[in-house]
Amino acid sequence: MQQRRKLSQKQINQELLSGNLKTPKWYIPTMLFLGFFVVTGFAVILYMFNTGLGVTGLSRPVYWGLFITTFVFWVGISHAGIMISAILRLTQAEWRRPVTRAAELLTVFSLLTALFFPLMHAGRPWRIVYWLMPYDFARGIWPNIRSPLFWDPIAIGTYLTGSTLFLYVALIPDLAVLRDRTTGWQKVIYTILALGWRGNPRQWLLQTVAGILLSALMLPIFVSVHSIVSWDFAITPSVEGWHSTIFAPYFVIGAVHSGVSAVVTMMALMRWLWKWNNHIRPEHFDALARLLIVVATAWLGCTFLELIFSVYGREAPEIALRELQIFTWPWNLLFMIFLFTGYIIPVGFWVFKKARNNIVIMFWTSILVNVGMWLERFLIIVPGLARKQPFTFTWEAYTPSLVEWYILVWSFAWVSFLMLLFARFFPLIPLFETKESQVFTSETKIGRATVPVIYREED
Amino acid sequence: MATQTNIAKYSKATSELIGTTTIAPKKIKLIIMILSILSILGIVGIVLKILNGFEDKSAWGYYAATISFLLTTAAAAPMVAIAPTIAKADWVRPITRIASLFSVVGIVTALASIPLIFALPPLIVDETRRRSIWFEATNYSPHVWFALSIFGLTLCGLGLLYSSSIPDLAAMRDHGTGWRKKMGKSLSRGFIGTDGQWKSLKMRIGMMGTFYFLMLMFVNFLFSIDFALSLVAGWKDAIFPMYHAMTSLQSGIAICILAMFFARKYWGMENYIKVPQFWALSKLQLATTVLWFYFFYSAFIVFWYGRSASDQMVINLLIIGPYLPVFLGAFFLEFFVPWWILVWNPVRKSIPALAVVACLVLVGVLLDRIRIFVISWSTYSNEVIHKKFVPEENFPQFMAPSVADIIVFIGLVSLSALIFILSTRIFPLVSVWETHQSLLLTKVVKYVRTHVIAIGKPD
Amino acid sequence: MSKKSILGLFDTPDQGADALDGLHNAGFESHECDVLTGTPYPEGTFGEHVPQHRLFRFPLFGAIIGLTLSIFITTATQIAYPLVTGGKPILSIFAMLIIMYEMTMLSAVVTTVVGIIFESRLPKFNLGAYDTRITEGLIGVVVNCEEKDLPKAKKVFKDSGALDTKEA
Repeated sequence: MQQRRKLSQKQINQELLSGNLKTPKWYIPTMLFLGFFVVTGFAVILYMFNTGLGVTGLSRPVYWGLFITTFVFWVGISHAGIMISAILRLTQAEWRRPVTRAAELLTVFSLLTALFFPLMHAGRPWRIVYWLMPYDFARGIWPNIRSPLFWDPIAIGTYLTGSTLFLYVALIPDLAVLRDRTTGWQKVIYTILALGWRGNPRQWLLQTVAGILLSALMLPIFVSVHSIVSWDFAITPSVEGWHSTIFAPYFVIGAVHSGVSAVVTMMALMRWLWKWNNHIRPEHFDALARLLIVVATAWLGCTFLELIFSVYGREAPEIALRELQIFTWPWNLLFMIFLFTGYIIPVGFWVFKKARNNIVIMFWTSILVNVGMWLERFLIIVPGLARKQPFTFTWEAYTPSLVEWYILVWSFAWVSFLMLLFARFFPLIPLFETKESQVFTSETKIGRATVPVIYREED
Repeated sequence: MATQTNIAKYSKATSELIGTTTIAPKKIKLIIMILSILSILGIVGIVLKILNGFEDKSAWGYYAATISFLLTTAAAAPMVAIAPTIAKADWVRPITRIASLFSVVGIVTALASIPLIFALPPLIVDETRRRSIWFEATNYSPHVWFALSIFGLTLCGLGLLYSSSIPDLAAMRDHGTGWRKKMGKSLSRGFIGTDGQWKSLKMRIGMMGTFYFLMLMFVNFLFSIDFALSLVAGWKDAIFPMYHAMTSLQSGIAICILAMFFARKYWGMENYIKVPQFWALSKLQLATTVLWFYFFYSAFIVFWYGRSASDQMVINLLIIGPYLPVFLGAFFLEFFVPWWILVWNPVRKSIPALAVVACLVLVGVLLDRIRIFVISWSTYSNEVIHKKFVPEENFPQFMAPSVADIIVFIGLVSLSALIFILSTRIFPLVSVWETHQSLLLTKVVKYVRTHVIAIGKPD
Repeated sequence: MSKKSILGLFDTPDQGADALDGLHNAGFESHECDVLTGTPYPEGTFGEHVPQHRLFRFPLFGAIIGLTLSIFITTATQIAYPLVTGGKPILSIFAMLIIMYEMTMLSAVVTTVVGIIFESRLPKFNLGAYDTRITEGLIGVVVNCEEKDLPKAKKVFKDSGALDTKEA
C-alpha cells in the first residue's frame, strides 16, 4: 500500500535541510561520543604500528583473523550503495528515492574503512608503496600482477573512485539548493562545489542520463569487487574450506545481504534522528524486506552449496574442518549464532507483512543480519587457517586480543562519524529525487478507488 | 461508468486475442503435419537408442545434452513471466502468456528424460560408492529424486499456466465457438470476475510462480550435478549448479524473444507485443550474457590458479581438451558476440536484431550443453569413477553426434514446437485479462506541453 | 548593443509554458530562451527544444584508453623484471584480465563524469539571471537578448502571470 505524501518543494527543502542549515541538539554529543572512539582507536592503531603485530592474537598458522574478517565485512557493507542506487534506478523502482544517497555514502565510507584494514595488517604500512605502486623503486621489482592481494586494491580503488564520483554527480543539484539557502563561507564552498548549476533542461537531462549510465557502469564493478576479494581465499588450495569455485557469487550475494541490511539500519536511524517520517515510510522498509528475503534465500542456497561441495570430494582434511566448524566447541556455537542471526530469525520475521512494516523490528533484525554476516566471514577465514598445519595444539590457538577488538569498534565508530559529518553539511536524502517523485507521481480515480499513478516519458 | 470507447477497446482486444487460437488453419495444419513427422522420427530414434541398451554411457551423451537443452530453454522461459510479475513490472503483461506456454514443453522434457534416468549409473558401482551429493543415501536416490522433481516441475508449470489462464478461458466460454466454447466453460470453473475470484487468482499465481522458481532451481541443481558433474571423477565445482541455472535463464529469455518475434510475424500481435517488451528483455539478455562470463571465469580462475592435479584435469578435459572448438563456439555465441551486439542501445530496440541474437544465444547454449554432457557421459567408466581424478590417458576422444542423436534432437525439438503450437490453439497467445488490465491502468496523458505515459500502480 | 538577461518567475509549469510560447510568438529564438527548475520535469514539458548530447561517447573513449593503458602497464611491468611466481607464466593473461577490466571500467567512469560536467556546460560560476526561489519550486524562464528587447520580454512575462522579474 503506497503512503506517498503530497509536499511542496519548499516543504521538502525545509524538512530535508533541517540538519544542514542548523545543528540538531543531539548532534554534538553524538559526535563527541563517536569521536572519542575514533581518536582512541587511531591511538591504538598507532600503538600497534609502534609496537608490532605481536599485540594482536595473530600467530602461526592463523595469520588472518579479525582484521581480514572486518575488511571483508566492510567491503560487503559497501555493496549496499550500488545495489540500491544502481539496480533500483535501472528498474525504475520509485521507492528507492529516499535511500539512494545514504546507501551510496555508506558505500564510500565503508570502502574507505575497509581499505584501512589490509594497510594496518601489513604492520609497517608505509612499505606497501613498494609493493603496490607500478613504479620501479630502484630495485627493479614491479607489482606482482598474479597476486590476488594486488587485484584487491585495484578493484576497491576503482569501486571507491566510481562511487565517490557517482555520489558527487548526483549531489550537484542539491549543492545548488544549499548554495541558495546559505551565506558566508558556507555559501562560497557550496558555490564552488555546485559548479554553477542552474537547473535548465540540458542539465536535468544529463543528470538523468548520468544516473542511468553510471549505474550501468558501476554494476559490473560492484559484482567484480567482492568477487576479487573472495578470490583472496578461493584460489589458494592450501587452506581447507577455501578452494571453492562458488566463493565469488557467494561473497557477492552475502555482501548484498549485509549491505542492504545495513541500509535498513541506517534508514531507521535517519527517520528517528531527523524526524523524516514523511520521507522514510514503512512502505520503504516493506520493499527492502521483500528484497532481503530473496537475497537472503539466495545467500542461504549458496551457503548450502558451499557446505555440500566442501565434503563432496570426501577428503579427510576437508571433512575434519567441517566437523571442527560445525560440531566442535566453540565453533559450533558461533556457527549456530551465524545461521540464526544471518537467516532464520530475520527472515522468520520478514515473511510477515506486519513485521516488515514495523520499523523497530526491521531495525533489530537488520543488525542481527550483520552480526551473522560478520560471523560468516570469521567462520570462513579462521577455522580453515587454524587447521592449516597438522599440529593439534594450534587448532584453537587464535584468540583476538583487546587491540583487535578495539580496532573493530573503532571501525564502526569511524564509519558512523564520517556519515554524521557528511550529514551535517550535505543532505542525506536527495532533494531533487524527492521533488522529482512529486512531479512524476499522481493519483487517478478508477471507479471509487484512488490509484497511485507514475508518469513515464514516451520514448 | 465505462464509456463506449472503453468498451470498444476491450472488445477489440478480446476478439483479436481470442482470434489467435483460430488463426490461419491451413498453414497451421501444414506446420503441424511436418512437425508431427519429425517428432515421430525422433521417437523412433529414442526407441532405437533404448534398444541399443544403457551400458555404453558415451552413447547417451548427446541425448543428455538434448534433454538439458530442452530443460534449460523451455523450463526457464516461464521465469520471464514470473520474475517481472512478482517485481510488479507493467511491461511484462503482453508476454506472460507466451512465457508460461513454454511450460507445456515440460511434458516432452519429463517424458523424454525417462530413458536418461535409466541410463544414469547408480551410486554404488563395483561395490564402491562413487562421489556424489547423496553421501550415504540409497543406490538410486538421484534417479528417484530427479524423476520426482522433473515431473513436479512440469505439473507446477502446467498449474501456473492453467491458473493464469482462467479468466481467458472464461472469455473463451463467453466469446468462443464450437469445442473451444465448451472447453472454456468446463475449464474456467465458473469464473465470472468477482472481487474474491480475482484476489484468489492473483494469490494462486504468486504462489505457483514462487514454487515454480524453487522447483526450477532444484531441478537444475539435481540435473547438473547428477547427470554431469558427478560422472567425472575429481570434478568438484560448487558453482556449476548456479552456472547451469544461469545459462538456463539466458536461454529461456532467448526463446521468449524468438517466440515474441514469431508471434508478431505470424500471429499478428504487433499491436500488443511492442518494442518496450523487447527492450526490457534485451537488457536481461545482456545481463545474463555478461553473467555467463562471470560464472565461467569464477570457476576457471579457481582451477587455473589452484593448479592441483584435479584442477588441471578440469581445465584440460572440459575446456582446452578434445572439445575445445565446441567450447570456443559456446564462448563466442553465448558471450562475446551477443555482448558486443547488445551493448548498443539502438540494437536493443531493434526487434530483428534481437531475434538474431536470440538464435545465436540458443546455438551457443546448445554447444555448451554438448560440451558438458557429452564429455561427462563419455568420460564416465566404472574403472575411472572412483579415482581422485581422471587421468589424461582416460580422456575421451571427440565424438561427433550419430545419426540417431541428430534425429532424436530434431525430433524432440519438433515435438516441443508441436506441443507449443497446439497449445496456442487453446490458449490465446497474449493474455486477454492482462491486456484489459493494461488498457485500464496505462494511458497516454497530456502533461503541460508534452505527453507522458501514466501507469496506474494499484499494488 | 550588449547582451542582457531577464528572468521571469512563475508559480506553475503551465504559466512557465505560456511564457515560453509568448516569447516565441514575440520573435525570440529557441536558443535565446531557457527554463530553470528546481526539479526535473518530463522532456518537452514547457515546449522547450529537447537538448541533444553526446555523453555516450565519453565512456567508450574512456574504456579504450583504460584498456590500452592497462595492457601496457601489466605487460611492460611483468616483462621488465620477470619473476616466476606460483609456477605461472610471466604474462598470465587470466590474471592480467582482472587488472585490465578494472582499469577499463575506472577509466570509463572517470571520463563519463568528465563528460557529464562538460555536457552540462559546467563549471560556470556566473549564474547570470537567477533567483534562489527556483530551488523552492518556482519556474524560471530566462531570455538572453539585446537590451532593447528587454521590455518586450518583460511584457510577455507579465502577461503570462510572472510573480517577479529580474534582470542581469
